[in-house]
Amino acid sequence: MKFSLDWLGDHVTLPDAGAPDSVRRLLDRAGLPVESVEEAHGVVVFDVEITPNRPDAMNHRGLAREIAAMSGAAFPNASGKSVGELPSEGPPAHELSSVEIQVPGLCRRFGARVVRGVRSAGSSERVRGRLASIGAKTIDAVVDATNYALWDIGQPLHAFDLDRLRGGRIVVRRAKKGEKLTTLDGVERELEPGDVVVADAARAVSLAGIMGGLETAVTGKTTNVLLEAAWWDPVAIRRTSRRLGMHTDASHRFERGADPESIPEALDLAASLLLAAAGGILAPGRIDARGRPFARRRAVLRLTRLRLLSGDDRLDLDFAAEALSRLGFSIAKRGGKRRTVEIPSFRGDVSIEEDLVEEVLRVWGYDRLPSRLPLTAGAGGHFEPLRLVEEKLADEAVAAGFHETFSYPFVDRQADESSFSAWLEATGTAKAPLSVANPVDASRRDLRATLLPGLLDAVSRNFRHGAHGVALFEVGRAFGGDGDVSRPETFESRRFAFAIGGDARPHWSAPVASRAADFFDVKGLVERLLEPWADPRRLVWKPFAADAFATGAAARCEVGDGRLLAVAGIVGEDERERRRLPERVCVAEILVEAIPRERRPARYVGYSAFPPIVADLSFAHPRDLAWEKLEALARKLDLRDLESFALLDRYEGPGVGEGEVKTTIRLTFRSAERTLEQAEVSRERDRLAAALGDELAVRF
Amino acid sequence: MAGSGPVSSPDPIAQLLVSFREESARGVSSRAEFEALKGRYLGREKGLVPALFLGVRELPPEERAGYGARANAAKREIEEGIARLGETLARAESERRERTAAVDVTLPGRRTRAGSLHPVTLVRRRIEEIFLRMGYSIADGPEIESDFHNFEALNFPPEHPARDAQDTLFLDRKAESPLLLRTHTSPVQIREMRKRGAPLKIIAPGRVYRNESVDATHQPVFHQVEALVVDKEISMADLKGTVEAFFGALFGAGTRVRIIPTFFPFVEPGADVQMGCLFCNGAGCRTCKGSGWMEIAGAGEVHPAVLRACGIDPEEWSGFAFGLGLDRVAMMLYEFPDLRLLFEGDERFLSQLAPLS
Repeated sequence: MKFSLDWLGDHVTLPDAGAPDSVRRLLDRAGLPVESVEEAHGVVVFDVEITPNRPDAMNHRGLAREIAAMSGAAFPNASGKSVGELPSEGPPAHELSSVEIQVPGLCRRFGARVVRGVRSAGSSERVRGRLASIGAKTIDAVVDATNYALWDIGQPLHAFDLDRLRGGRIVVRRAKKGEKLTTLDGVERELEPGDVVVADAARAVSLAGIMGGLETAVTGKTTNVLLEAAWWDPVAIRRTSRRLGMHTDASHRFERGADPESIPEALDLAASLLLAAAGGILAPGRIDARGRPFARRRAVLRLTRLRLLSGDDRLDLDFAAEALSRLGFSIAKRGGKRRTVEIPSFRGDVSIEEDLVEEVLRVWGYDRLPSRLPLTAGAGGHFEPLRLVEEKLADEAVAAGFHETFSYPFVDRQADESSFSAWLEATGTAKAPLSVANPVDASRRDLRATLLPGLLDAVSRNFRHGAHGVALFEVGRAFGGDGDVSRPETFESRRFAFAIGGDARPHWSAPVASRAADFFDVKGLVERLLEPWADPRRLVWKPFAADAFATGAAARCEVGDGRLLAVAGIVGEDERERRRLPERVCVAEILVEAIPRERRPARYVGYSAFPPIVADLSFAHPRDLAWEKLEALARKLDLRDLESFALLDRYEGPGVGEGEVKTTIRLTFRSAERTLEQAEVSRERDRLAAALGDELAVRF
Repeated sequence: MAGSGPVSSPDPIAQLLVSFREESARGVSSRAEFEALKGRYLGREKGLVPALFLGVRELPPEERAGYGARANAAKREIEEGIARLGETLARAESERRERTAAVDVTLPGRRTRAGSLHPVTLVRRRIEEIFLRMGYSIADGPEIESDFHNFEALNFPPEHPARDAQDTLFLDRKAESPLLLRTHTSPVQIREMRKRGAPLKIIAPGRVYRNESVDATHQPVFHQVEALVVDKEISMADLKGTVEAFFGALFGAGTRVRIIPTFFPFVEPGADVQMGCLFCNGAGCRTCKGSGWMEIAGAGEVHPAVLRACGIDPEEWSGFAFGLGLDRVAMMLYEFPDLRLLFEGDERFLSQLAPLS
């Protein structure tokens, strides 16, 4: 919000003869930071950031009060007095017009003055110059007078052409259903009963506190003017201004709370400017209609509280009283260690003791407060356990060479996630997506139900930038499902997803053919990531199909009790084409909340002092005989002293039949009690070989 | 000397030694040659050395001892000579093997692929570590929140302009307290205070959302960390000391920090935490709009209405809270120019900071 330094000087003597840096430092200290300082035509203009609780500082007099409070200068200064009694004659205002308030809670004060016989004119050089310096438009004597009063003392005003008000009178009421009003900007507005309007005897003539109506506006032909200054309910103004998308200087102030006490002086100020520029005769008296009365507001300030909240024992009640009085507060009652403080009408933001403490500290200076560290143990260390899980997963993925990435969670369900619908189904998020009602980008209004599409898009971008191998992971939340609206967390699911594409082993020494990422890269990482909580041997991998995955090259991973833990697979060709993935990409997504909560215990298990004997077995079998079956058979036979059963090699190609594969397994035997004999090991190996031949028809 | 057999012929021991010494001096060039030589001299059946001992019995008893001693000495010499030849050969063979397995030590090594944490995660963990050392606990909350937790309990009245500062993304589900994407991490304050009561000493890092268009300095998705301390007599002085200690630890000792008044509905008194501008060192530049200071965090004493909404009596307890944006801190620490980099997933960006952090 812009302020002219020269204008501020009307109300307060500026420090250091108005040196901009000095004023700026004071305002910073007051919590009204200066965003920029500009100088044009010899006028210094500040752009000040004013928080929404301080409508009182949104005008030159209000800001000057802050400067005075910080610097200790007198306020108001000699030139800042009110306009005084204005000459008036003829019939009094209340004979020329009347005001009836039908909504006393929403319009608690409505003041008006009447000026007769004005002529069309521009305003004075001084008024025009001042308004122009802060970027306000100058229009004519009437509008400029109201605007000047707004920027000078903060009260928004409106001027009506009195002769166009039917019945010459004002009725403040709610809009009628379907009632229409064309506002000053020429737009016809359809009103609702929630809107408050200023009406005449027949129709709405102004959208209260927001913008006047076109038909009753002052024009070049206007001779009799009714000036309005009122107090409007902030919530009502905000509702209407938001609904109609109308944000004006007036609504900005009424939404934040205007000062009802400034109404008479604002009317006088605008009237005096109008008389000076456009002539005319001021009708004696003001119309001052009242709605619900304003209560006197007080709050108590205790010394103990002042010192406790500030942490500064040098503060006392004398300083507090002095600081508050500089800001326009007054002491209504003195107790031993407390003061009852009367809150001025322009400080609607202040209502409780803590507010008073802040006011005192602003004047004292936050920079003078001592600093220390809190003496507290808090409630003792607690950690969100799932965060620790996520952290561990991320560390492992980093160790495995993956880079952490972030994706936007805003997607289009149809375009981005339909190829994953089987996965959404499996995770209970397939129904209507959770969507944003007011999205940043209307084409992406749904919240993601899986991290995988975002990850694939990131992989794609890396390929497009010339990467040959990409390995990314993301820790984040997926949204949707049948949540309980009273517990928003039930719509979220924590996910850990990763993708690897192109060269996974790019070293020159690896054969080119074996460098590309494949299913076992992702399966292996899922196993490694879950190992602290779930024994990889206990994980169950079942074929899984989704459009996004290559046929027969994806799996869901479950823990023993059938609980779904993850999906992993090779991205299918259609999906790759759609997402522009020139190389093979493999992905996996882990459901973090499904990971068993208890970590596997880390405990010592003894091992044998005797040497192992290794025995290998090679055999051919159809490609579709699952490894799982071979493993299960070996387990069932319970081979004596078998320490491990491992897949050594799988070979397809020349020398092996079509659709067949040659598997070599390595059996390692070891006894905890003695050195084994070759013969007993061979016997066990042969037992397995025979069973493989008999039960699974493998050929040796 | 007279008689037949070995005695009559020239001394066979000396002869054998002469020929062995000649042969061994020539050396062997292969394993086969070595084995042949060894067999010729030491072979059990036809070896020249065993042959020396065949005629011993026929010698006159008085000569036997002398002959035997000499033959044994010769045997020892030949055995040792052959062993030496064997060692020399083995050394030569091993050298040959190693020569063929020699590497070009200038070829690229096989480095484990180094992964990396996201720059925002790096900053988050650094901040968490600082607070953990100061005895804080780490709390967490959902990204989908109710209006109650995000606004109402934080003393944002309905229809209050303070809500405008937080362009909220609302969800399209009907609910008594409307659902939204949390606009700050402050609702975690509410959840923790309601769950655990006082005293409390926590931080809450997390992801937040605003209805902002994407540009170099704005993102609809970003990250914050919130600190909250509630106990008896927690004051602005405690807040001040804590932000000084924290920012000193994060940006280095000597970092200038100040607090000035400002307004947030959920604190009273409220404060802006500002840091001496990193770009101009306080002299005033475009980044700090000429003030020499940059806003880095919002802070203040927890508003009594917030404490009451969480069932904590503000007459008995007080607290401070402060919150800051992680993305901006990352930008300052690592000096990258554009927030959009954080969401592009480009490995050239993601991988370059972690190894050095």
